[in-house]
Amino acid sequence: MELIVLTPQMEVFRGHIKSVKVPGTAGQFEVLAGHAPIVSSLQQGKVRIITESGEKKVFSILNGFIEVLNNEVSLLVQGVDLAP
Amino acid sequence: MSGQLKEVRERIKSVINTQQITKAMKMVSAAKLRKAQMAIQQARPYSNKLTAMLRNVMRYVDNGDQLVYNRATEGLRPAVIIITSNRGLCGAYNSNIVKEAIHHIDTKYAQAVQSKSIRIIPIGKKAVDVLKRHYDPALLERKFLDLGERIEMDRVYEFATFLMDEFRSGNFDIIDVSYGRFRNAAVQIPETVQYLPVPPPKPMKEKKQNIVPNYTFEPDEDTLLTELIPAILKVQIHRFLLDNAASEHGARMTAMDKASENADELLKELRINYNKARQAAITTELSEIVAGAAALGS
Repeated sequence: MELIVLTPQMEVFRGHIKSVKVPGTAGQFEVLAGHAPIVSSLQQGKVRIITESGEKKVFSILNGFIEVLNNEVSLLVQGVDLAP
Repeated sequence: MSGQLKEVRERIKSVINTQQITKAMKMVSAAKLRKAQMAIQQARPYSNKLTAMLRNVMRYVDNGDQLVYNRATEGLRPAVIIITSNRGLCGAYNSNIVKEAIHHIDTKYAQAVQSKSIRIIPIGKKAVDVLKRHYDPALLERKFLDLGERIEMDRVYEFATFLMDEFRSGNFDIIDVSYGRFRNAAVQIPETVQYLPVPPPKPMKEKKQNIVPNYTFEPDEDTLLTELIPAILKVQIHRFLLDNAASEHGARMTAMDKASENADELLKELRINYNKARQAAITTELSEIVAGAAALGS
């Protein structure tokens, strides 16, 4: 599953991942391979990524959007703080 | 004679000095342009994706044009944002934009200018000087003059939010933006685009419509729209400013390159003049000596 994380200024992350957990406006949820297509807005909180190699990455965001389509996840976020 | 020689020599020196400055400015602009171009490139994926998302959601919402930011209005209380640079020495860049903006205002909003119901929002010092001569200074809103100086997300969003608030409350019923679209270092296109109300998105081609994936929307389509559209509006302002920055540096680079070239030409001419004057002086001296010798001999 491919993930790309974008901010208005730059690309923060791009790579293959096992899963990503995001703070959706309607509740936190986790995206795994084969997730149904979804578009959701995000609220302030932490994004947790587990990369293909099992490495964990966490960063916090202020708000944003997520789109999942055909095992491609796009995260558009604002106010990223890479220090968890 | 030697007085004229000295004069030309001084002029040559001063032209060389000027040329050094224009050359340095060209280099600096080239470096800044590279940075500005990079910023545009890095901002592009985000706004592209956001627009694509909006289009996706719009296809599931029938009353898209009923939304606040889409509603059409009569254009009786327009606001025009004019984005120029803070510094000069960039050729006709700023005056082209202001000219385009004034033309736009005078043709489209002549009535609003007359009734003083238009607001003109200059960004960048260069626009103000011309605008305040052209329109009643009371029509100018100068709060955001230095927005383009250092492009900071917080201030960009603050500005976009201000515009959206004014639009929602009806203080502005149409908002246009005049800026210099960046094509490349040599070409900047002054253009005016409508910012609010949001022009309806282009409809998708038939073919693509058939393979619409079955999206789940969270929280729901309408809420998503009310969040997506402001996000896009903010990004748009960001893009205008980034384009303006790149255009400014591109224009300055071209202008300074031209100036250096002109200095070269001027130098060539001056050097020819200098040599001519020198030759003339030598010839005169020689003929004086010869004449003197001849006078002695006879």
